[in-house]
Amino acid sequence: MSGKWMAALARSMLPVALASAFGILAGVAGAQTPTKPPTPKEIEARRAMGGYFPERMTNPNLTANPPHLIATPLDQIPLDRIRVPEGFKVEVWAHGIPGGRMMARAPGGTVFVGTRTIGRVYAVYEQNGQRVSKVVAEKLVQPNGVLVQNGSLYIAAINRVFRYDNIEANLENIPTPVDMTEAFKLPPEVHHNWKFLAFGPDGKIYFQVGAPCNACEINPGVHGQIRRYNLDGSGMEIVARGVRNTVGFDFHPKTGELWFTDNGRDWAGENGFEDELNRLPANMIGANFGFPYCHANGQPDPDVRVPNPCANTILPVATLGAHTAALGMRFYTGKMFPADYQNSIMIARRGSWNRTERAGYDVVRVTTTPDGRNARVTPFMTGFLDTAKNAYYGRPVDVLQLPDGSLLVADEQNGAIYRVSYSR
Amino acid sequence: MITRVGHAPRRLRRVFASVALAATLAASAASAQQIWRPGDPARGAALAATCAGCHGAHGAAPIPGAPALASQQPEFLKLQLVLMREGLRDVPAMTGTLKGLTDRDLVDIATYYAAARPFRSPPARDPALYARGETLSGAMGCNSCHMGDYSGQRQVPRLVNQREDYLAGALRAYRDDRRSGTDTSMNAVMYKAADSDIAAIAHYLAQRTEGTADAHSTKASPGVVLR
Repeated sequence: MSGKWMAALARSMLPVALASAFGILAGVAGAQTPTKPPTPKEIEARRAMGGYFPERMTNPNLTANPPHLIATPLDQIPLDRIRVPEGFKVEVWAHGIPGGRMMARAPGGTVFVGTRTIGRVYAVYEQNGQRVSKVVAEKLVQPNGVLVQNGSLYIAAINRVFRYDNIEANLENIPTPVDMTEAFKLPPEVHHNWKFLAFGPDGKIYFQVGAPCNACEINPGVHGQIRRYNLDGSGMEIVARGVRNTVGFDFHPKTGELWFTDNGRDWAGENGFEDELNRLPANMIGANFGFPYCHANGQPDPDVRVPNPCANTILPVATLGAHTAALGMRFYTGKMFPADYQNSIMIARRGSWNRTERAGYDVVRVTTTPDGRNARVTPFMTGFLDTAKNAYYGRPVDVLQLPDGSLLVADEQNGAIYRVSYSR
Repeated sequence: MITRVGHAPRRLRRVFASVALAATLAASAASAQQIWRPGDPARGAALAATCAGCHGAHGAAPIPGAPALASQQPEFLKLQLVLMREGLRDVPAMTGTLKGLTDRDLVDIATYYAAARPFRSPPARDPALYARGETLSGAMGCNSCHMGDYSGQRQVPRLVNQREDYLAGALRAYRDDRRSGTDTSMNAVMYKAADSDIAAIAHYLAQRTEGTADAHSTKASPGVVLR
């Protein structure tokens, strides 16, 4: 199975690879001479390609963090480090699901959990009064996207889409899924294409097709988008453009408008560029959010340059810190938390890699008006990051409200899900 | 705790708060160990008895194509063992061997091999090939993740103390998209690399004296700085 997706991967990495291989191709491949520093012309060519600049990659501290891929035993889950505001309580709701990321809840209470590197989708459910988990799908390439609608579980793994009908009645004997891949016709590029799925108030399924590079010119007809489809894969429509890598969106409880997080580009310094919380106004379907030319609150890309890079670009409601990896987000609509939490946006920030001083590794709360004014970002769930040691102990990736108004938080690092509850 | 969260003004231009870049190499190296928890090396040694047929006693690699495991980064070993067990990294010789092994088994095996005495290639340095490999390794930025002495870190493997034929085969596999790591950086780095370049890099790394940073070490050679 690896050959096919690897080929897709190679295509997806092309702009990146061209840039990184440039030194070899230009300096060595044609002759037996040692590699020379790039000429100004070659540097310009690299700039035009955008992407991945080996000359910036000179700090081993900026290497990507490894995934964990094994279950953290219950007694090693860092519950005692976690801090939440007064009156809130955190418990371990589920554990033993290595790499667990995005969550979707079925009406019967089963929570399905997608992953990336470990290739599995889990179900977490009650059995004989115990909360248990099992693998419902495996050996997939980054099956990050999960959604339950009309009793069916949808799984999106890059460009493959599967539907498991009547899933909760079949947990003990998982049926062969309906393969929806042909219907959705998604591009095969792997990079930034681990999917997030959401079901809109318009009855459509929403997901993203990210930019297949760090920072490069993309085909705006294919990449850097959020799309919506009918549940059968028909009727595709691009609802947002210029979106680099969103892994979390939800619909405003009052207006129904789409709000989403987006990850800023890497290899542009410790503080460049901040992640975003964006709002798509209802009357601006198809609008542009800036990638690759315009980042964060209107900052031009240093490599992929055009005149007026931020023209016709919707700027974020809030910026969320550089490299913090703002991922899963949901509006809070429950009755359990204090009244001022109504319609707050809870955002999991997985935490940085391309930054020597780590940032993120928490859940933040954003309060704002329905049209996105007066945004205020405050810490909600912290303690996974020890700033004194520059060390992290957990990586929150998604949030999900339960019917009782408590909030689940998935910790990919520890393969655990926490439940945050409140009582006065 | 959270230092960069606050009001987000809706302005076109935003001035970044200046942040001291205080993290030192030492502090970060310490933090790099935070998630890896060593297992039981004695239990790992017992489990690894079946591995010796291909990987040699204590991971010393007597057979062409089978990597030396001795002194490898334990987190790299653990993650690769998981990927092979899950069928996500397709190595036919390993699939059956790993079937049924638990997470704990894999951590113990990784702990055992990481502590074993390093493998050393027989000295057979070809000076021209070695020099070419050294130049290429620097130009490709290998040491920006694999460290200045190529000892690796966390999920990034140790490249010294490895068989030359295995290194060359692994690099070709990355180039040809027959393999990836826990992320895809190596596929990008090796894109379109020539066989002759791969041979030179493999020779250099296999013949390199361990524990010394080379002329292309990350501190010594900042390279061309854009912007």
